[in-house]
Amino acid sequence: MKEYLSGLAKACTAFCLAVLTGLTLSSCGGQQSNLVIREENEKRVVNLFSPMEKTDPDAENVARSASDLTVRMAEKKLNVTMFYRTYTAESYQEKTYDEVVLDRVRSNMDDLYLLNPDTALILGAEGKLADLSGLSCVKNLREIVLTANTVEGKLVAIPQEVVAYGLFVNADMFRQYDLELPETPEEFLECCRVFQENGIETPVGANRWWLETFVFAQAYADLYNGGNAEGEIAALNSGAARYSDYMRPGFEFLQTLIEEGYIDAEKTLVSEAIEAEGPDFLAGKTPIVMAYWGAANTETSYGKTDFEMQVIGFPSSRGQMPVVSMTGFGVGAEAEHAEDALRVLDIMTSDEALQGYSQVNQVISPSKNIRVDCVPALRPLNARIEEGVYVLGSNAGMKVEQWGNTCLIVRELLGGATVDECMASFDALQDASLQN
Amino acid sequence: MKQTSITQEKQKGLSLLLSIVLVFCVFGTVVYMIARRTSQEMSESAVQNLSESLDLLECTIEAILRSEAEFQMMIAREIARAADPEAYIRTYDKNRAMAKLSLILTGKTEGVSNTGEPFTEEGLDFSSGNTVYGLPISCSYLNYMGTWSYTMKCPVERDGQRIGTLYAEYVYDAIDDSLPQEGFYNKQATLYIMDAQSQRFVLKPKGMGMRSAGHLDLDDFYRANNIQEPALRAEVASCLANGKRGLFYHDIRDVQALNYMWPVNDGSIFLVGYVPISAIQQEGQAVNQNIFLVVVSMLAAFALCIALYYRNRRQEEKLRQEQEEERRLHNQQLSEALQAARIASESKTMFLSNMSHDIRTPMNAVLGFTALLARDAENPAKVREYTRKITSSGQHLLSLINDILDVSKIESGKVELNLEPFALNDVISSVDAIIQPMARAKGQTFHLKVTGIRHEYLMGDETRINQILLNLLSNAVKYTQEKGEIWFRIIGLKQRSAQYEHIRIEVEDNGYGMTQEYLKTIFDAFTRAENSTTNKVQGTGLGMAITKSIVELMGGTIEVSSEVNKGTLFRVELELRIPEGQEDCAFWESQGISGILVVGGEEEARGSILALMENTGVRLDAVPGPEEAAGLLNSGGIYQAALLDWETGGLQAAKTLRRLLPSAVPLLLLTEGESDGMEEALRLPCTYSLTKPFFVSAFQEKLRELGANPCGECVPETGEELSGLHFLAAEDNEINAEILTELLSLEGASCEIAENGQQAVERFCQAAAGTFDGILMDVQMPVMNGHEAARAIRALEREDAARIPIIAMTANAFAEDEKAALDAGMNAHIAKPLDVEQLKKVLSQCIGRREEQ
Repeated sequence: MKEYLSGLAKACTAFCLAVLTGLTLSSCGGQQSNLVIREENEKRVVNLFSPMEKTDPDAENVARSASDLTVRMAEKKLNVTMFYRTYTAESYQEKTYDEVVLDRVRSNMDDLYLLNPDTALILGAEGKLADLSGLSCVKNLREIVLTANTVEGKLVAIPQEVVAYGLFVNADMFRQYDLELPETPEEFLECCRVFQENGIETPVGANRWWLETFVFAQAYADLYNGGNAEGEIAALNSGAARYSDYMRPGFEFLQTLIEEGYIDAEKTLVSEAIEAEGPDFLAGKTPIVMAYWGAANTETSYGKTDFEMQVIGFPSSRGQMPVVSMTGFGVGAEAEHAEDALRVLDIMTSDEALQGYSQVNQVISPSKNIRVDCVPALRPLNARIEEGVYVLGSNAGMKVEQWGNTCLIVRELLGGATVDECMASFDALQDASLQN
Repeated sequence: MKQTSITQEKQKGLSLLLSIVLVFCVFGTVVYMIARRTSQEMSESAVQNLSESLDLLECTIEAILRSEAEFQMMIAREIARAADPEAYIRTYDKNRAMAKLSLILTGKTEGVSNTGEPFTEEGLDFSSGNTVYGLPISCSYLNYMGTWSYTMKCPVERDGQRIGTLYAEYVYDAIDDSLPQEGFYNKQATLYIMDAQSQRFVLKPKGMGMRSAGHLDLDDFYRANNIQEPALRAEVASCLANGKRGLFYHDIRDVQALNYMWPVNDGSIFLVGYVPISAIQQEGQAVNQNIFLVVVSMLAAFALCIALYYRNRRQEEKLRQEQEEERRLHNQQLSEALQAARIASESKTMFLSNMSHDIRTPMNAVLGFTALLARDAENPAKVREYTRKITSSGQHLLSLINDILDVSKIESGKVELNLEPFALNDVISSVDAIIQPMARAKGQTFHLKVTGIRHEYLMGDETRINQILLNLLSNAVKYTQEKGEIWFRIIGLKQRSAQYEHIRIEVEDNGYGMTQEYLKTIFDAFTRAENSTTNKVQGTGLGMAITKSIVELMGGTIEVSSEVNKGTLFRVELELRIPEGQEDCAFWESQGISGILVVGGEEEARGSILALMENTGVRLDAVPGPEEAAGLLNSGGIYQAALLDWETGGLQAAKTLRRLLPSAVPLLLLTEGESDGMEEALRLPCTYSLTKPFFVSAFQEKLRELGANPCGECVPETGEELSGLHFLAAEDNEINAEILTELLSLEGASCEIAENGQQAVERFCQAAAGTFDGILMDVQMPVMNGHEAARAIRALEREDAARIPIIAMTANAFAEDEKAALDAGMNAHIAKPLDVEQLKKVLSQCIGRREEQ
């Protein structure tokens, strides 16, 4: 043992001396040229336009981290640099992200865009978006994804997640007032009444973006789950059926919510998503809000509550009804770096990328090959989707764009319009589409 | 004294350590101060550098704005010259910098744009009063392309009359193209362009992670980066309001950073952002790191030197201790050597004393009896008695001298082994022939047993092996009381190598035994057991030392165990090389022997016989008794010889077997010696005896005898008479010459004496052929020694020179002396003092052989 230590000490001494000698020699040696040549690397760039966060910078945004992973993957594989260009309205008075994105796509300002379903359909219809159906990732996509994003035979956007909207409820408060989670509009109204009687003045926290989900759940519960979706949509497109007939119950329901004070219409009309209603919900003051699937995983939204949160579908005649929508990536048809943008998108929506995305974000993947476990709060919503019970928030097969238009007409209702006036708006839209 | 020295040593070490620590502290302080000063200087320099960078950016943006304003004024002049200003506007294409060009003619509230849409000033805010080259510039806003932009308005004048206002919308992206694409401070600095009035960030960094919070406006920036100190925010607000430059330190996401607010175009827009301190002080840090590296390297080198110094000191200390230890050991060894030398000296003194006594005793006998012989010369009976005793004393004296010479030779390392093939049988026979009579004389029983030997012919120094065996066995006989028992066993052990026979020799007795103390020194020279019993025994005390030396010289081992009054066991193990091709299959074929029947004896003994005969090509059937032998013979077994163990079978078995065997097949009785009934058994037809232990060579010899003389008649012994022979004797010693002459004359022979070798050669030359029947040659002689003389005689060209027997006579009785004599051309060698019987035997053999030739 002693001999071994002695040998080790000798070896260490020799090593130290060798290192010192090496350092000495290296510091003395080397002749440098006086001429410095800096080669310019030709960099390929893809500009991505997407919304910007306004939330707490220290909170972990899982969705953004997941998306960034796929972006890095694309950068590495294609040796391109992705530049983020962002916009978020400071207040409701400013242009919305959707308005800005429409301007930017129409002006060919960027290459790759994150598009809400309504903007994707509008721009797709205008021919401003490239056809993505040739990408290799398309073969992996679920049918629902293709259906929702195909405009006039062209696939105009591909999402990284299938967004399911639902009601985020404070289960502890429901238990506190001995209430069952509502299945139908009537049960929902009864819950609101009980909450209000118990001092919760506004039981539903809402913003100017997502109230239309209530409408869709009631309007299309039968259409999408009754077994004759294609026939009914064809009737709507031909004018044989009226959108207003479908929409009316939902609007009347919202009207009731407004009249009973279950929703603060004035506040809702100027509230941004989560910003306004989120703090009260997290504080246990508001028992019901509406949000998308990913909000249940994200600390910046509702990923960390002090109470038991459950995410359920919207009330409908067919019970709790998830509303499915998709925020996808589209490529400008005349973008400066359209080819690189298409390649980047192909990688960002490949199975490899989506696997990572879904695992980090724990969301429903648009790829039929990927399944991920969800957090406990989302299980009721997920169970309905797994059953195949849901409605689409947007459908490119319908001639009248749904998500954006309904949102705007709901704002009219919030602004004081009557249900009839709102229905008239739908009729006008339908008529316009029939004329085209 | 030693304690004081250690304390002083410790104090020295402590002082040295303290000095080292002090040097370290001073060195560390100096290095720290230098590093700090360097860092400060670098920091100031970096702030200066940042200011210069921002200045450069400011100038760049202002240059862009100015060029835009100049361009717009130029367009305004163009429009003024145009016949239809609005048509001019409509034909203008937008470009990367200018997104929209619009004109409102004087007196109108609505004008036209190059986009084709109607244009009004609504939505444009020129209230800040900021201008570029005198052209009012609007607050920033999101344009129809969804990007941040600003508008400058320029009057369009024709002939001094204002005919309208030209509005040009510019996008910030054009400014972005002119800013460093890689950012500054190696991409670590963050740069925004902020509209002063709305405090919105109108140009933002585009890299990864720039989607996170903090990029919306100044409030968002403050919130995201936790810049909440009211005093600080108030100071910054003051800078913004007054269009002043502001730099302040504040952590950004837990990283120390230098934040900046840098007005451009008199404060219409601001450069806002931060640079991490680590990026600003990058060079300073690099310098500090290098200083740190150098210091660490120097410290490491210093520590290494100290470590080496201490190591060296420790090694020196260790060396000193080792030297002291070595010196102490050396002194101890010297002391021990001195002690050993004293003991050896005492031992040798004692030995000399013993020798003196031992030599004097027979010498006294010789001289005493010689005196008595002179007195009683007339009495033949007494003469015979005296001469017998003189002879006995002389022989003892001779053995004493031989042993002393042997020890002397072994100690001086001059002993060489004479390795030659020998038959184990011959060794055992010759030892048995000597020891058996000695044992018998003391009434002792001598048992001889050979087991497990596979090879009878071995390579070795037969003489020395004989010496070992005789020493051990003679000791056993000497130190065993009358009627005692002695066992002599030769055991073949498992071979370690196919080329070597591994044998163990055991000599055991139930004699006096030895004490444990004596056992420890038994193999030392010049020692001898001293007690009342053994004092009766004569000996030099050198025998065991000689034996051990020879055994070890042969690469073997010897060990002894003994118990007083119970007996002693000596165990010698040797490995002897097996000579190649010793199996003589041809013999058996020539004798026509293909099968041998072995009857009786212990199973082990039968196994030994089978092992020894293994490679002879002869089939051996070994059975325990005559009954089994009868079975084999009746079932058609054909044998050309049969062996019967006499001790287990006896006469009855011999008779039975003889009856069963065909009359021509010889029956050999294996026996340890003569015993009852043996004579009667040997009278049976074709029945002979063969002495145990069984050896193939003895068996072959016997069969050869039977083949030559099948009737078993006795061969008369060759006479050993010297009567009538005449010899030439070379002997320089007169007394020896006289003794030789007398001895020969007693045998009826005569001799002629030559005083040295040369005389002998000359005398032989002079004499006619056949004058001498042989030459007796002393070896050590003056003028010419015996070897030279023998060579000279053999070299003569006379016919009889080559064949006349020359017998060496020398006091040198060692094997190598005999070999030297034979090499010199002599026929035989006899040791002095001369033994008449041996002389007669050798002479008769040599002369007889010559006659045969």
